[in-house]
Amino acid sequence: MRKLALVFLVAAGATLLALFVGRLAPSSSSASSHREAPLISEDPTADNTDLYAFRSPDKPNTLTIVSNWIPGEDPAAGPNYYTFSQTAKYNIFVDRNGDGRPDLTYSFRFKTPTGPYFLGNTVQNWTATLNGKPWASGKTPMDNIGPRQQALAKVRNYETSAEATIVHENGVAIFAGQRDDPFFADVGAIFDLVAIRKPGTTGNKGGGRDFLSGYNVHTIALQIPISQVDTPSHTIGVWSSTDRQDVVVNGVVHKGWTQVSRLGEPLVNEVVIPTGLKDLWNRTSPANDAQFEKYYQTPILAAVLNKLYKVDAPTTNRSDLVAVLGTGIPKVTYTGKTFADELRINLSIPPAAHPKRMGVLAGDNAGFPNGRRLGDDVVDIEEQAVAGFLMGHKVPLGDGVNGNDVPYLTHFPYVAPPHQGYANSKATTA
Amino acid sequence: MPNKLLIGLAVLLAAGFAAFLGGVFVEPPAQAPSALAASQSAEDFKAGFALDASTARLVESLQATLEANPKDEHSWALLGLAYQQRARETGDPSYYTKSGGALDRALRLDSSDSLVYSGLGSLALSRHRFALALKLGRQAHALSPTIARNYGVIGDAEIELGRYRSAFRDFDTMTRLQPSLSAYARVSYGRELIGHTAAAITAMKLALDAATDTAEPAAWTRVQLGKLYFNHGRYRAAEREFLLANETFPNYAYALDALATTEAALGRLRRAVGYERRAVDLIPLPQYVATLGDLYRVAGRPLLARRQYALIGAIERLLRANGVRVDLEIAQFDVDHGLRLTHALALARIGQRQRPSIDGDDVLAWALTRNGRCGAALHYSQLALRLGTQDAVKFFHRGMIDRCLGRHAAGRAWFRRALALNPRFSLLWAPVARRYAA
Repeated sequence: MRKLALVFLVAAGATLLALFVGRLAPSSSSASSHREAPLISEDPTADNTDLYAFRSPDKPNTLTIVSNWIPGEDPAAGPNYYTFSQTAKYNIFVDRNGDGRPDLTYSFRFKTPTGPYFLGNTVQNWTATLNGKPWASGKTPMDNIGPRQQALAKVRNYETSAEATIVHENGVAIFAGQRDDPFFADVGAIFDLVAIRKPGTTGNKGGGRDFLSGYNVHTIALQIPISQVDTPSHTIGVWSSTDRQDVVVNGVVHKGWTQVSRLGEPLVNEVVIPTGLKDLWNRTSPANDAQFEKYYQTPILAAVLNKLYKVDAPTTNRSDLVAVLGTGIPKVTYTGKTFADELRINLSIPPAAHPKRMGVLAGDNAGFPNGRRLGDDVVDIEEQAVAGFLMGHKVPLGDGVNGNDVPYLTHFPYVAPPHQGYANSKATTA
Repeated sequence: MPNKLLIGLAVLLAAGFAAFLGGVFVEPPAQAPSALAASQSAEDFKAGFALDASTARLVESLQATLEANPKDEHSWALLGLAYQQRARETGDPSYYTKSGGALDRALRLDSSDSLVYSGLGSLALSRHRFALALKLGRQAHALSPTIARNYGVIGDAEIELGRYRSAFRDFDTMTRLQPSLSAYARVSYGRELIGHTAAAITAMKLALDAATDTAEPAAWTRVQLGKLYFNHGRYRAAEREFLLANETFPNYAYALDALATTEAALGRLRRAVGYERRAVDLIPLPQYVATLGDLYRVAGRPLLARRQYALIGAIERLLRANGVRVDLEIAQFDVDHGLRLTHALALARIGQRQRPSIDGDDVLAWALTRNGRCGAALHYSQLALRLGTQDAVKFFHRGMIDRCLGRHAAGRAWFRRALALNPRFSLLWAPVARRYAA
């Protein structure tokens, strides 16, 4: 009978349920790195959803990196509250010389304190290492469950006490815990063959529905003095990943770590990597990304856009995409010949006083694809880029969602406070 | 859906399948449908149970997509897989037939989609066609060699075919490629099979941690963890996991069935019956129905017990009609309950040939024993224990063989070993083991 159960698991259980439910319920199809290898969808605590890197607008001598995990946290999903996995390792990498290998590795592990067990105990202790050496430690705030929970924990103002958990170590500010999902996109329409809700348009006239509205994620945010990461070219590459422990049948102690998820440039996994290679891509390091270059040359999305909207997007020889996503924007974020999926940022470009959601495409060089700010509309930018924007072929494509449902903070960690389960904003907006 | 299934069964029974059961039961089996019908409350019909309503919605949406575009290969593949999830949620095996139909359509449209082969492979696993599953898993792997999941399909098939060495290697590879709930749960199972219980618990806890935030998989994993505790007589620890599983994912039949067994082990028969009835109402799997019958029998309600037992044959017909092989399960049920022993032995032989695993070997050993062929049984019992699995039921069967062969001291040692491991390993047989161990 045990067999039966295992069979069910592989046949249709976790893996496929998670894969499928994503097609209907926003609860499991959230931020940009979502509909990936089924075995990733099944493991939300290891799932990198989005990565951001930008010069801090209020502290321009610092770089802020925001890395998010756990897609589609429903604030009112109790009793299954969300926490970082206690057996995973969460990593943020900085490559300072363009070789696709990390020069700075920030790794985080989380533990839920044992003690009187009650559901909803979401405060976790974290310890972090820098390049493998003990570096910092702290606590996450509790999830934003509701006023009674907070009263129990003697929390008067959720955000004040959440920000009180920020740790400062060697000039770096560190935050880890639940936040609003800053990503915005019409996920439902995108996965319905990049459909656009407003008839007669190519989608840049609004009318989209933000499927991430009202959902939370778990964030690790770092604010690092630029002096700690700067290079002669001022351009660095950033990516994040999650590792899980490797075990074997005939052994007791685990043998090391295996990377199960990663994220550099947004939507690469979704838009570029073929289904059958998503597992492989997720466990590959950027230094070994050359094997995927051919898929950037012939993006599937270009063919899909042509079929749907007859936008005449070039479908082959896309060295423009290879350059921007793989080696950097020429003269702006170019890091050398090594093809690697990293979010590249030129630290010499100051923050924009008036950021434009279309970033570099709108002449705002302080935004995506020079790094990525929370408000950069990467879905529209990537649709237009795939349609051939950088080759002079400008088509006003978009998903019709141009901003987040709640304002971002103007200070670290910039990501908005998490939606509260008790208030459940989705219940009123759905 | 289970209600529909039960009604289907009632109709089948009334339509004459009852004849198939002829002679086994004291009561005329024709009474079974009326008993069933009476047990259907209006509330049951309203409930419209589904573990996850979204799967039903997914099926509808995929059907609509395919109506508009019948050549959409990917949607056929997904529909095939969604039907398998529905089978899991409802216990209705007709979804296997539907799944096979959808996957075959997908295959005709595109014979190079690895997902279709792994879907057909998992369907073959569900139907207990393990040699076929192995072939399909390998085809899926050949098409997408870097996907971790295909190693799960291949390894699961190898386990049931008794090819443990390669199965464990495949589970190891699966984990090395992508540690996840699916991989950890398999590593845990491998460790359990070779008798490394503490290590199995460790791996299942890793699976559980990888499942946090996903309700049904988390509940499933908790149930497996609880069963590891149960199999070692740690009933309180097991109960805690089962209760948490049912809290994580309310009305979870797998948890309710496990709770029933645990409550019975803790001597709370009435609560056990309550849990098992809920499990059977949700998903009428043959093993749940058999357990409910056993609980009634132990509780001194032979009439109710027989009514449950009567259902097994009908469920079996329904499973067979949908391509599921159940020879081994039926043989085990019949042998345990002293029914049609010659026939059961023939079934066990067929079952063991299809499934030369330690479970196949054990059921055949037990069937031979109950047919008085204890010398032949010993050989299969030795095979069943070849991995060093800590399984009280298999220890008990070995004790019965030794006893039958006149090796009373050896028999007593096995009975004691079974009871030391899990004193309440079986409703029906643990008391027998206690008697003979003395």
